[in-house]
Amino acid sequence: MERILLLIIIAILLVGCRKEELKKIDGPLLSDLNGKFSVINNLKASIDSIDFKSNESMFFTAEFSKVSSWKLEIIGQKSGAIKEISGIGNKLTNLETAWDGSTTFFPIFQKEICTARLTFTGEKDTLLTTIKINQPKINPGFIVADFESPFNSGWSSFIQSGANMDFQIKSNNSAPQGEGYLNMAGTVDWDWLIGLINFKASAYGAKTFPLTSNPNNLFFNVLVWGEPSLTNSIVLFQFLEDENVDGSFSTNSEDMYSHQITINWTGWKLISIRYSDLQSLVNGSPAAASGNGVFEPNKLMQINMLHLANPSSGFAKSKLDYLIFTENKPLQP
Amino acid sequence: MKIYILLIFNLFTYLLIAQEGKKVQFIGGARSILSTSDFTTDEKDTLTVGKTTGGYALIDLGIKINPNSRTEILGMFRINNAFGGFWGSDVTFGVRQLHVKGIAGKGIRYQLGNIDYKLSPYTCYNSNPDLILPSFGTTLIKEQIINYESFYKSNTWRQQGAAVDFVLDFSKNHDEIKFKSFLFRMNPSNKGLVFERLYGGGNVVFNHHKNLQIGANLASVFDVKETALTNDVYRNQVATLTYQYTHEFEKLKMELSGESGFSNTFSAEQKNTELKDYFIHVKGNTLIKKTGLLIEAGYMDNGADFRSAGAQSKRIDFTQQNSIYQRFTNNQILRPISYYDLYNDPTLYSIQFSTKLMGYNPAINNVLPYGLATFNRKGAYFSLNYSDKKERINTQLKYYRLAEIRGQGTQALRKFNYFVGSINFNPSAIFHWKKSQTVSLAMGYQETNRLSKLTLESIDLKSYTLNFGISCEIIDKLYLIGNSFLFKSNGNEILPIRDAKGTIINFETTKISGKEFCLSSGLKFEFSKEVYLSVFYERNTNSFIASNPYQFNQFQVVYFMKF
Repeated sequence: MERILLLIIIAILLVGCRKEELKKIDGPLLSDLNGKFSVINNLKASIDSIDFKSNESMFFTAEFSKVSSWKLEIIGQKSGAIKEISGIGNKLTNLETAWDGSTTFFPIFQKEICTARLTFTGEKDTLLTTIKINQPKINPGFIVADFESPFNSGWSSFIQSGANMDFQIKSNNSAPQGEGYLNMAGTVDWDWLIGLINFKASAYGAKTFPLTSNPNNLFFNVLVWGEPSLTNSIVLFQFLEDENVDGSFSTNSEDMYSHQITINWTGWKLISIRYSDLQSLVNGSPAAASGNGVFEPNKLMQINMLHLANPSSGFAKSKLDYLIFTENKPLQP
Repeated sequence: MKIYILLIFNLFTYLLIAQEGKKVQFIGGARSILSTSDFTTDEKDTLTVGKTTGGYALIDLGIKINPNSRTEILGMFRINNAFGGFWGSDVTFGVRQLHVKGIAGKGIRYQLGNIDYKLSPYTCYNSNPDLILPSFGTTLIKEQIINYESFYKSNTWRQQGAAVDFVLDFSKNHDEIKFKSFLFRMNPSNKGLVFERLYGGGNVVFNHHKNLQIGANLASVFDVKETALTNDVYRNQVATLTYQYTHEFEKLKMELSGESGFSNTFSAEQKNTELKDYFIHVKGNTLIKKTGLLIEAGYMDNGADFRSAGAQSKRIDFTQQNSIYQRFTNNQILRPISYYDLYNDPTLYSIQFSTKLMGYNPAINNVLPYGLATFNRKGAYFSLNYSDKKERINTQLKYYRLAEIRGQGTQALRKFNYFVGSINFNPSAIFHWKKSQTVSLAMGYQETNRLSKLTLESIDLKSYTLNFGISCEIIDKLYLIGNSFLFKSNGNEILPIRDAKGTIINFETTKISGKEFCLSSGLKFEFSKEVYLSVFYERNTNSFIASNPYQFNQFQVVYFMKF
């Protein structure tokens, strides 16, 4: 038995005699990293124009003399939308720079010409090229409201009669998607509620919203504006399920799930939440659901959107756009 | 009300009776720490509150129930009260440990719940590469608290899951085959892009004539398919062979042992990032029975792409930030993790191992930052252990001469020298004193060199660590304890920057120059080996940020109990 062990050890040592690894190197060459920077191949788009609606994709290429920290910004000349891609390397290929028309900083890209700008940390060089978007990206999902059309007659609303009230759809180039958005502003010093809109499934020609029954696979997304120097706005979404599918909602026996957003940022922000992560809330605190306690998005009959603010906090303002349900993953605009 | 009092009385009576029959036992520990610290820096600092006082009292109460002679159920709860809390404020309750274990059938041992587990040094093993020196005096008290808090027990990792082991005994030739298997849950799925991740494996060890042992080990981290909304499952598979042969002569005892194996690490949809490699570790030792001297020599070759999550995870990730005095000076610069933090802040230590390569401090351990299983290391080591039979002196010395196998950013390879040694004197045994006196000294030295014609590739880094400690019993069970701890490092390193997959994408040049010195002394009263009260004061200076050296003094009262 001892001989067997000896043979095993000898065999392991013989088999294990490592091949020369001197030609292999982990990571980029230090001499490349610390050499002089120069552009070998200028920034180029793989195609001149693109139709993202037809799922076309494109990429950018460039090559430079040493491994550098680079940042590629694609800027919509009309919308001002920005797609940002960054990385470390000595060249840009389709692996690093493939673009499907998505946005990093709102608004969303439109049909427009974009400027692509490549910059490098610690270097003065800036490389430029252009790409034309023939058709912008289409996001798969069910759009509850994108405010591109006037107020849907199937929705209902209530707006307090406070001071400086402005609760309406507006259309201008500050919209993060398309040209329209919902503006919500006003001072209500006797109540938390400033205004609300009920988005009813019946407004879309059905008793319930056409959604999957799997709550783990469904995401609710909305673009929310934070007004500079105002942090008192709260947007509360309520999701009412018609469990017995009788066409009406019973507060005492059916589930209402909520998602409350405290707006403490400036500018547009994408808020996405998985349907199964919604909570049953009473006065902002988690509470037991009134119905069967099962998330059933396929029985969703109404979405209430309430714009709230502490009555003592004065003027409150926010904006909303692009309320959309997506499946499998949050919205990637 | 009387009924409730009667019920409570009956419950306690039952528990007390049960204690006698050992069916129900209370186990656990208690600890209380009161500390006051004083943080100062030479730079102008009007933003950091220099003096702070704090503390807490906690109790871990475990109830061990043996419903029958073959089953044990343990539940341990923690109540922690931060000083200053009153009537329940600042009190936290938690579950510290839950397990069921027992013997099924003729000898299949099983355990479910929280399990402290290890397999072999290259598969599942919790090494401690950052506290490179043994602890004495005040540092021993602190290391004891860290180990207790983080469940570190003889190189085990705390896991949650199930483990089974059993032995087939062939009594004729004193042969036996031991089987071990385990399945632990590393993290749950978030029903999004995070998979359900499990860690499973086991080993088979064959023992022959009590002098030969051959084992096969397998440990695998794997994502469970279809538990996330992607197919990019991760795998880290490690398979090894362990072997040990012992031969005893009249004056000598000799042993040849080792572990060799390979690993395969990949993501299903990113095959270009697959890492495959092997390792060999063989060592031999000889014990000279008459003198008690143990001489050992070993050879290791750990491939550059060898990855073993269970054996290469560190206890501390040096990319995290300090929780005590995280920032200082009016510029609010970050305070890097120092040796003093390693001994004082249990929150820096991770309980579970990680599949990502954790950050390390090259000044502290650049030679084996991921323990013995550190990848990309090849070379030999030599050690001497001497223990006097009368316990007068005890010494351990170890020297490694290692090198990289594959260069990082260059074809030039780093070369390492690493010496670590400790010596304990016991004057009580030498001079036949009744009271216990111990003087201990430990020293570590590390040197990293990479010679290159290009200055930008050259590395030269040296680190020294020294710990001197005393423990003198001045009156019965009352000890005077003290430590002098020095850590010094000078030179440069070019550290790799890795992406999320562990691939090197860049390098960061680091210049290191500084010294950390901690002097402490105090008293310790031992009620028993595992119950003591200690009071000590320490003064720590740190100059690793040359422009902002700081001083951190602390007075601590520590009560520690295990029962």
